[in-house]
Amino acid sequence: MNSTIKLLDLAAKKFGNKIGYEDEWEEISFNELRKKAMIIGTKLVNQLSPDQLISPVIVYMPKNIKCIVSYMGIQYSGNPYVPVDSNIPLARLQKIIDNLNPGAIITDKDHIAKLEDIHLGKTIAYLYDDIVEGSIDNEVIESVVQKVIDTDPIYIMYTSGSTGEPKGVTISHRGVIDYANWVVETFGFDNNTIMANQAPFYFDNSIFEIYGCLVCGGKMVLIPEVLMMFPVKLPEFLEFHEINTIFWVPTVMINVANSGALSKHKLPLLKTVTFCGEIMPNKQLNIWRREHPDCLYANLYGPTEITDVCTYYIVDREFEDSDPLPIGKACKNTRIIVLNDNNQIAKIGEIGELCVIGTGLGLGYWGNKEATKKAFVQNPANPYYNELIYRTGDLAYIDQEGLIMILGRMDSQIKLRGNRIELGEIEKAAACIDGIKRTCAIFNLQKEEIVLFVETPKEFTLRKINMELLKYIPRYMLPHKLISLENFPHTANDKIDRVTLQKTYFE
Amino acid sequence: MEIKKILSDFIKSNFEIGDDPDFTDDAHLFDMGFVDSLGATEIILFVEEQWNIEITQRDLVLYPMNTVGEIADVILGKLA
Repeated sequence: MNSTIKLLDLAAKKFGNKIGYEDEWEEISFNELRKKAMIIGTKLVNQLSPDQLISPVIVYMPKNIKCIVSYMGIQYSGNPYVPVDSNIPLARLQKIIDNLNPGAIITDKDHIAKLEDIHLGKTIAYLYDDIVEGSIDNEVIESVVQKVIDTDPIYIMYTSGSTGEPKGVTISHRGVIDYANWVVETFGFDNNTIMANQAPFYFDNSIFEIYGCLVCGGKMVLIPEVLMMFPVKLPEFLEFHEINTIFWVPTVMINVANSGALSKHKLPLLKTVTFCGEIMPNKQLNIWRREHPDCLYANLYGPTEITDVCTYYIVDREFEDSDPLPIGKACKNTRIIVLNDNNQIAKIGEIGELCVIGTGLGLGYWGNKEATKKAFVQNPANPYYNELIYRTGDLAYIDQEGLIMILGRMDSQIKLRGNRIELGEIEKAAACIDGIKRTCAIFNLQKEEIVLFVETPKEFTLRKINMELLKYIPRYMLPHKLISLENFPHTANDKIDRVTLQKTYFE
Repeated sequence: MEIKKILSDFIKSNFEIGDDPDFTDDAHLFDMGFVDSLGATEIILFVEEQWNIEITQRDLVLYPMNTVGEIADVILGKLA
């Protein structure tokens, strides 16, 4: 298979008018999805400049079925799609557009006005309602899709960059084709599978459901964004929509467990409970297991750079609340190695950096050779042929049983409620605020909160600072605490003394 | 009137808002940073207990509850 869009062709053939996707406003069958996507594909092929090798297309809309239609339509035009948060700060969107040089951007009536403040260059802006109307040119689409090869990019997802510039992780068709098939095989999904999707579409956990559904003919039900604020109400949602499968970020699993709502809703239909995105504590997993003992539980792991997931652990034994949960073993067509400080393969039990090899490996960061070269490197343990590995920056070891255990980060990147955050990006954004001289963001591990230190003669409140920060960084990156100082402590070579800040204010 | 007062007193005292002049019955609690995402649940649980009503997942999806005024409207509807 050369293009992921062939999965939609197959799904339409096999499952036809069966409903594949449902949101709070509408539902859509595989046939209808294919038809609408082909209209979009036809328009894009005819209107994007043919002199450019590849024209990524941004989709800038709130999470709904229209986004999925757009992603598929863009693939029919032979181009990669780029999901962005509909609440993205405009300064960040501008950075993405400058880095990406997209051919087009698909948006809706509520968001098109915001683009007036953006320098679009040659990028064409389309309203979804316009681009989805028209005719299909089968010949044009077929010839374009045939030209795609499976190492071409299918999507680009932007993640936090420590320099303040978001990095566009570029993923190939073959990564997604392989992953979607693996998901369906591993968890035995079929056309009775109904998944409640939690992950935003600019977060690659959503690949599990979007493409898993195409392979198995199941249904993906989008949880309305507003409900994500009320974990206590999620079991009621699962019951109402007869959900049997979930793939959620641990924070949501934890909040649901802590809310006590699991004991109120028996959820007899729920069969498969999978999670990924950060460390899942056994304490809350045990609450799920006690309330729903017949479900299959699986802990998945993977950074965006390797197509969502590269290891998995199907929970097969009891764990104490304080035990760590393994991330298990490599997925199909994937190999995991742990490299120690000397860049050699670590022994059993020895801690090192977790590195990934395999089909899912991303193509690098879009238009950012430097960052790509640092993270995607030749396997130092292989002197014989070209074999790229992705260095995750995660610390891990492999135990006696061959199970991978994850420990934390090697750098200042943090995971908070499943979101990957570079503290440097927060510091860069805060430094843009008038009256602030220097900034320092530190994660308070014990309290699980981001503390922003600012060097300023002015008086600021956290809320006011956060309102300013929202111009540059997304809401999930906002600090939880603000400490204003007239002068920062500094080290002998005049750097900000982070250790002293931490000691003085966290203990 | 009464409902809005009880509600805004609860939010003010629970989220350390003090006498911030931006905090009104029409202020967007979340967009304006008065309440974070974890606080949303606290407010709903308070409302359910205080007025002995149930706010279902469908209510949350169908009706906007981003301001003191909007939440009060939902409460009024439930009590009617």
